[in-house]
Amino acid sequence: MKTIIRFFSSLKLAIVLLILLVAASILGTLIPQGREAADYAARYGRLAEPMVKLRLTDLFRSVWFLGLMALFGLNIAVCTATRLGAKLRRAFRPKVESDPKSLAAGKISARLRIDRSAAEAKETAIRTLRASRYKVRIAEEPETEGRSGTESAGADARQAGGRIRIHFLGRKGTAGIFGADFVHLGLLVIIAGGLVTAAGGFRTDLGLNAGKTLDVPRAGFALRLDKFATETYADGSVKDWKSTLTVVEDGKDVRTVVIEVNHPLVHRGYSFYQSAWGLDWDNPDLTFWIERKDAPGTGRTSKIRVGEKTAFPEEGTKERRTGQGEGGGKKTAADQKEKETGMEWTVRRFFPDFVIGDDNRPGTSSGQPNNPAALIEGWRGRRKVVEGWIFAAYPQVNRLRGEEAADWTIELRDADAPQYSVIQAARDPGVPLIWIGCLLVMAGLFLAFYWPAREIRMTLEETEGPAAGSAGSGGKGRKRGSGRMEITAGGTASKSQDRFASEFARVTAALKE
Amino acid sequence: MTESAFFTIAFALYAAAALLYLAFLFGKKPKWARAAFIAASAGLALHTVALVLRTFQSGHAPFTNMYESMSFLAWASVLAFIIIETMFKIPKVGAYVMLFVIAIMALASSPLMPKEAAPLVPALQSYWLWLHVSVTLLGEAFFAVAFITSIMYLRAKDPEKKAKMDSVSYRCVSIGFPLFTLGGLIFGMVWAEKAWGTYWNWDPKEVWSLITWFVFALYLHTRIVMGWKGKRSAFIAILGFLAALFTFFGVNYLLSGLHSYV
Repeated sequence: MKTIIRFFSSLKLAIVLLILLVAASILGTLIPQGREAADYAARYGRLAEPMVKLRLTDLFRSVWFLGLMALFGLNIAVCTATRLGAKLRRAFRPKVESDPKSLAAGKISARLRIDRSAAEAKETAIRTLRASRYKVRIAEEPETEGRSGTESAGADARQAGGRIRIHFLGRKGTAGIFGADFVHLGLLVIIAGGLVTAAGGFRTDLGLNAGKTLDVPRAGFALRLDKFATETYADGSVKDWKSTLTVVEDGKDVRTVVIEVNHPLVHRGYSFYQSAWGLDWDNPDLTFWIERKDAPGTGRTSKIRVGEKTAFPEEGTKERRTGQGEGGGKKTAADQKEKETGMEWTVRRFFPDFVIGDDNRPGTSSGQPNNPAALIEGWRGRRKVVEGWIFAAYPQVNRLRGEEAADWTIELRDADAPQYSVIQAARDPGVPLIWIGCLLVMAGLFLAFYWPAREIRMTLEETEGPAAGSAGSGGKGRKRGSGRMEITAGGTASKSQDRFASEFARVTAALKE
Repeated sequence: MTESAFFTIAFALYAAAALLYLAFLFGKKPKWARAAFIAASAGLALHTVALVLRTFQSGHAPFTNMYESMSFLAWASVLAFIIIETMFKIPKVGAYVMLFVIAIMALASSPLMPKEAAPLVPALQSYWLWLHVSVTLLGEAFFAVAFITSIMYLRAKDPEKKAKMDSVSYRCVSIGFPLFTLGGLIFGMVWAEKAWGTYWNWDPKEVWSLITWFVFALYLHTRIVMGWKGKRSAFIAILGFLAALFTFFGVNYLLSGLHSYV
């Protein structure tokens, strides 16, 4: 168990993982991701198959990449957890006592004497540290009873028991030692957010025509597109797409919001983004020119919808004909009667870019109106009397069939498609975690880089106590200065050592005043 | 005066600063370094005016195409250098930083770069454009200074100078890394969430930002925890900046993705 923990908490693992993640990511940008298999075959030839098998073509969602990420997360978690205990102890229950010898041995340290009583010296030390905004903790020796009771008699005991020793621990910016932990915690939260997104996220495109209402899948409410508009700049380039959306709950309009790119609608945990737009060629606006050949000048334009019958009244023409007293004479009475049942036109099929496909069936080769064609039918009652494809671009080419095919001139004058708006609906419960993680990462980076933790430790020792006369250290001390108290100070800082060194010098100098 | 006039004068001042810094490098007279610093600062001031004018003229942030972004990167690099120079007194770095700046300015003003301020496509119409791009490029500018000081570390012989370059490199990374994290990754994610409906798409530009971030994370961990210094640190910092540079240029010209604006 210990070896496992040691393995996962090692920085070497972190470094190896970082390098592997970098390498994999580079690979993932060099190989186009998520294309069709044929694309890869054309691009990489025989290598394509093993590449697809190794999921190099969908690398960022592949098991092995996610596995690397998971290992990385585990590494961060174990690493942070194993170090956190000691750090928390250091922050909240620090050891105040220090050994003067090791303090003096530190890089930033000082030893000085002042001629004050223990109480005065203590006062001065606290004041000076606080003046530089250090939080001070104090521990005093002797723990007279404890020590002299247990230790054997002799010079040691006399020295330890009789001399006053006061320890100071001054600290500031202690939060700075947790900078890296916050960053790591933030990263874990972000990874968790990513997992939540992958597991519970939901995303779909809703194509909406103006006026159409669609149930949002799994959401329990519906969305209606009231209006869709494309705004353009003076030069014709697109400025913005705007969809006016109404949220419909239980048949009632709840709210209406105009969304555009960068300004989604958020409703009950669902977000709706303006993601695309298109031309709805299934419901085209078709304008035809229809005229009876035997009644020139009577033609007119008519809008006919796909699948809907539109009456084409001939009464006007008939009246005019009778009024003018010409034409019609050759027609039989039966014809006349049939015509009286009225002509109705309908569009059976429409293609914006007509083409005869490989299967010999008509189709469209694109969504662009390059060759709009309509299969039009003329009906009298239940009899189809005209039928045929007509082409907007080639009015002279018409393949009309049926008994009245020769009687009519029909042209497809205009073919337009209403724009529809593509709204991306998304519910992503991972998003809040992502933002929390980002905040933690930034807070951690700030702490780590700009919140230097500083620590000044001091030990005050009485040198001219009752036992001073006989102690060797007292004699040594007298050579250094005349003070009664000896102060040993040492400092450490997590950042900007130079600035800390000068602060340390200021603090120790102030002790003498 | 127009924006391009200010741009040109700023360019000339940067060139003057580079020459003065070079003179300082070889002549070692401190007054040349001071003059160079003044020229660079004056250039920065005029460049700022050019950027402001451009903003008013186009009605949007001055970094929406390659020309604008490179001009802004040059601006940010001079700013980063002036900050670092004020903090650490490293006039010898000046010559190389200014040469780097001139190279970017020259690229920006080359005929290959369309300079017209085009109207903004819908996805770019957001105040996140300001936050995301400016903070990212500022972070990258500090990486650029770290890159230069790292190269100077590798080339230096004098141990004192080596130590100084090593520590300045680290300082630059410690300023650039938080900025890049905030601007490049976090602001980028927030904006992506708003514009595309997803905070992360594994788009090549996103991936390369992450790669850059990983490289600098490697730099920091090896340095702070494992005590790497000097040569190895310098190499990682150089790689990191090259990754940042590839994120900035390479992705646009060599890879395709959502981030096709700049």
